Amino acid sequence: MTDAAIDPVTDKTARAGRVTAASQVEVDHAELDASIARFVGRNAGYYSRAFHRIHDTTRGVPLTFNWAAAVFGPLWAAGRGVWGFFWGFLILEIIAWVQIGRGTWGELGAESLAQAARQEARARQFLEQAEAVRLAGEDPSRFETLSNNLMRAAERSRETAEAAAADATHILLTGLALLLIVKLLQGLWSNVVYEKQYSRWRIDPAAVVSGVKPHNVALGLVLTLAIAPLTVYRFTVEDVSPLLTAFPADPDHYTGAARWLEAQIDAAARGGSGAFDSIVLGVRQILDAISLALIGAPWPVVMTVICVVAWRSAGPRVAIFTAAALAYIALLGYWEIAMETVALVGAAVVICVVLGIPLGIWFGKSQRAYRMAEPVLDLMQTLPAFVYLIPIIAFFGTGNPPGILATIIFGMPPVIRLTALGMRGVSDSIKEAASAFGASPWQILKDVELPLALPSIMTGVNQTILMCLSMVVIISLIGGGGLGQVILEALQFAAKGPGLLGGFAILFVAMMIDRIVQGAFRRRD
Amino acid sequence: MRVRPPARDAGGRKPSASAAEVGAVAMSETVVELSGVWKVFGDRTAETLAAAKSEAISKAEALERFGTVIGVRDASFSVSRGEIFCIMGLSGSGKSTLVRHVNRLIEPTDGTIRVLGQDVGAMGTQALREMRAKHIGMVFQHMALMPHRSVRDNVAYPLEVRGVPKSRRWAVSDHTLGLVNLEGYEDRLPQELSGGMQQRVGIARALASDPEILLMDEPFSALDPLIRLQLQDQFKALVDELRKTTLFITHDLDEAIRIGDRIAIMKDGVIVQIGTPEEIVTRPADAYVREFVQGISKLKLVKAHSIMEPLESYPGVINGAPRVDESADLDRLIDLSVGTDDPVVITEGGRDVGVVTKSVLLRGIQGGRS
Repeated sequence: MTDAAIDPVTDKTARAGRVTAASQVEVDHAELDASIARFVGRNAGYYSRAFHRIHDTTRGVPLTFNWAAAVFGPLWAAGRGVWGFFWGFLILEIIAWVQIGRGTWGELGAESLAQAARQEARARQFLEQAEAVRLAGEDPSRFETLSNNLMRAAERSRETAEAAAADATHILLTGLALLLIVKLLQGLWSNVVYEKQYSRWRIDPAAVVSGVKPHNVALGLVLTLAIAPLTVYRFTVEDVSPLLTAFPADPDHYTGAARWLEAQIDAAARGGSGAFDSIVLGVRQILDAISLALIGAPWPVVMTVICVVAWRSAGPRVAIFTAAALAYIALLGYWEIAMETVALVGAAVVICVVLGIPLGIWFGKSQRAYRMAEPVLDLMQTLPAFVYLIPIIAFFGTGNPPGILATIIFGMPPVIRLTALGMRGVSDSIKEAASAFGASPWQILKDVELPLALPSIMTGVNQTILMCLSMVVIISLIGGGGLGQVILEALQFAAKGPGLLGGFAILFVAMMIDRIVQGAFRRRD
Repeated sequence: MRVRPPARDAGGRKPSASAAEVGAVAMSETVVELSGVWKVFGDRTAETLAAAKSEAISKAEALERFGTVIGVRDASFSVSRGEIFCIMGLSGSGKSTLVRHVNRLIEPTDGTIRVLGQDVGAMGTQALREMRAKHIGMVFQHMALMPHRSVRDNVAYPLEVRGVPKSRRWAVSDHTLGLVNLEGYEDRLPQELSGGMQQRVGIARALASDPEILLMDEPFSALDPLIRLQLQDQFKALVDELRKTTLFITHDLDEAIRIGDRIAIMKDGVIVQIGTPEEIVTRPADAYVREFVQGISKLKLVKAHSIMEPLESYPGVINGAPRVDESADLDRLIDLSVGTDDPVVITEGGRDVGVVTKSVLLRGIQGGRS
C-alpha cells in the first residue's frame, strides 16, 4: 500500500525528465526507412532517399527524378500499382506517339494528292470532249475553259499536298518534343505520387498496393499492347481497315430480337387482357369521379371552392394568385381542358398515395423488402418516360387511364421513398418507450411512427404531385387529354401562339397546385 | 450469494403465481426476481452460451470465436417491495440490457425472470402488454417523450394504451403531473420544457398507471449536476412515499449511494457485488469496486458500528464521554468528538458496545482500517 502510494510520485518526476518538448523532437529516420522499405519492396534505398527529400521539402515541388518512371512510363506505374498515373500518362504518351507516327510514315498529303489526281482526270475528260466538239466543227472554248480551271485546281491541290508533306518534319519534331516533356514530367512527378500512395498505404495497408507486383506489370503490359498500337495505327495510316472504324454488327440480330420481344409482349397482352382491362376500368372510375366534380359542377362553384381552399391553406396572397390564374385559364377558353388536367393529376396522385404510403411503411420496417424494391424504384425514376409509354400502349391501350398509369410509374417513387425514410427516422427510444408502456405494434404505428414520420411523408406527397404534373404533357403522346394535348397539337403544326398560350395555362395550373399544397404542408408543421 | 435454480423446463411454467409466492405477502415480499439470466447478442447464441457455461470464456473470446457479444452473464438478484435497487456500472457494462429483461423489451438467452410472482418469459403477448401497461413504469435516459403530443397526453399514454376513457386519463395525468410539481404545464409540448422538466414528465408518465415497479434507465444522466441533485431528492422522497419497487440504473456511484437501498455493481455483463451502500463502500468485493469507491465521501455512509473498537480496549470506565447509538454516521461522530477529549462511546439499545477514539475516527474518514 505504501509502495503504491509513493510510486506514482517518483514515476511522475522521472517521466518529467524523459518527455521531450515538441520543439526538440528529432526525426527518427531509421523507423521511417524500415516502413518505406516494407512499402516499396524493390529499390528500398532509392525510394527512402526520394521520400525523405519529399518529406524535407518546405514549400513548392520537391525535386526528385525517377529514371525508371521516366523510361518505362505507364509500365512503371502499373507495376507499382499507381493506376491513375498509368492511365493519365498512357494517354499522353499515345498522343505523342501519334504525332511521331504521322510525321514519319503518315501520308499527310494523301487526300489532297488523290483530289488532284481526280481533278486532272476530269480535266483530261473535258479536253477529250473539246477535241470531239472541235472535230464536229463547233466551238470547243467552253470545254477548254473548264479543263483549264480544273487543271489549276489540281495544281493548287498538289501544292497543298506538298505543303502538308513538308509539315511532316514539323509534326515529327512536335511529337518528339511532346514525348520528351511527358517523360520528364513522369520522372519528376512519379515519386511525389508514389509518396502519396505510401501515406495511404500506412492508413490502410490491406487495400493499397505496395511493392512491385508481377501481375500488375502483366496487366499494364496487356493494357498498353491492347490500346496503344491500335490507336496509333488508326490515327496515322490513311486507309484503315473498316474492321476498326465500325463495329461488325449483324442486322439480323436486331430484327430477330425485336420480333421476338414483340411476340412476347403481344402474347402477354392477350394473356392478361382481363387483368389489364379491369385495371383500366378501376383507374377510369377514379378519374371519372374527379372529373365529374371538377367539370360537371358549375364553373362558378368550382372556382369559388378552389380560391377558398387556396386562402384557407396558403393565405390571401396565394388566393389572389389563384384567382388570377383561374381567370386567365377561363378567359382563354381552357377551363374544361384545364380541369381535365387537374383531374388527371388528381387521379394519379390519389392512386400514388393510396398505394405508395403502405408500401413505404412496409419498406421502412423491412430492410430486406426495401433492398429488393430499391432497384425497381430507381428504374421507375430513371427510365425515360418515352420508353415505358410503348409497353403501356401494348398492355393498356391509349387514352386517359393508360396516361394515368404512366404518370403513376413516374410519380410514385418519391412518396414510397420518403415514407420509408420517415419511418426509419423515427427514434428507436420513443418506439421502445411506447412498447414499454404496453403499446401493441398497431398502436406504435398509429401513435408514434406515423405522426413522427408525417413531415417526411408529406414531403413525399408534395414531390409526387409535382412529378405527376410534369408527366401531364408527355401522356398526351399516348392519347391523354387535357392541356398536354393542346401543347402536342401546337408542336405538330409549329403553332407558336396557341403553343405559348397553352404552355402558360399549364404553368399556372402547376403553380397553383404547388403553392396550395406547399402552403397546406407548411401550415401543418 | 444465492444458488442458481435449475434451468427452466422446456414446457415453461404456468404464468400464474405459485401458492408459496402468494402466501408471502409481507414487508419483504419479492417483487422482481432474476435468476441465472444470460443475454448473448449475435447469431450463434446457443453455442456461445454452452461454451461460456462450460469453459467460462471471456467476452473477447466469445466475440472472436462465435462473433457474439455477451451482454449479461449469469445475473441473479431479487428486489423486495418498496426497495430501491440500483444497478451501477460504466457504459457497456450491460446494465441497461439487464433491466430491459424485467419487462421483456429484451428476450433473455437463458434464465428466468419473475415479476410479481409471474414468469415473464412464459407470458403471451397480450399478458405481457397487460403487465407492461399496468404494473411496470419506465423512465428513459433521453426522456423519449412524444414530441407531437402535449405533456398531458404524454403522461396519459400508458392509460390510453389500455383504453382508459379520456376524462379519467386527463384527471389521472393532471394529478400525476402535480406529484412532480408540473402544474400549469399540462398543455405545453415537451420541447417547450427544460431538460429537467422533461424528465419530470417522464417520471409522471411512468407513475400514471400507478405501477408496482419502476424501471429507471439512467434517468438523470443527461441533466446538469444541480438539477440532478434536486431531482434525485425529489424522486427519492416520492418513491419512498408511494412505496414503489424501483430498479434504478446509473453510471454514477454517488447517485446510487444517495438513492439506493441496495446497489449492484456490474462490469462486463457480470454482477460483481450486491450490497447496501455502506457494505459496498466499506467492504468492496474486488479491486474494480475498490477503485470506484475510493473517491466517495464516507461521512454520511459509514456508521459507528463498522469502525468502533471493542469496549475492552479501553478498560477505564468512561463516564463523562459522549454516547451515541451505533447507527450514527461519521458526520455525527465528528460533531461529538470535537467537543471533548474523551473517545465517543457507542451504544446499542442503551448498552455500551464499543468506543471510537479520534484516531479510529480519522482512519474511518480516510476509509481504511489499518
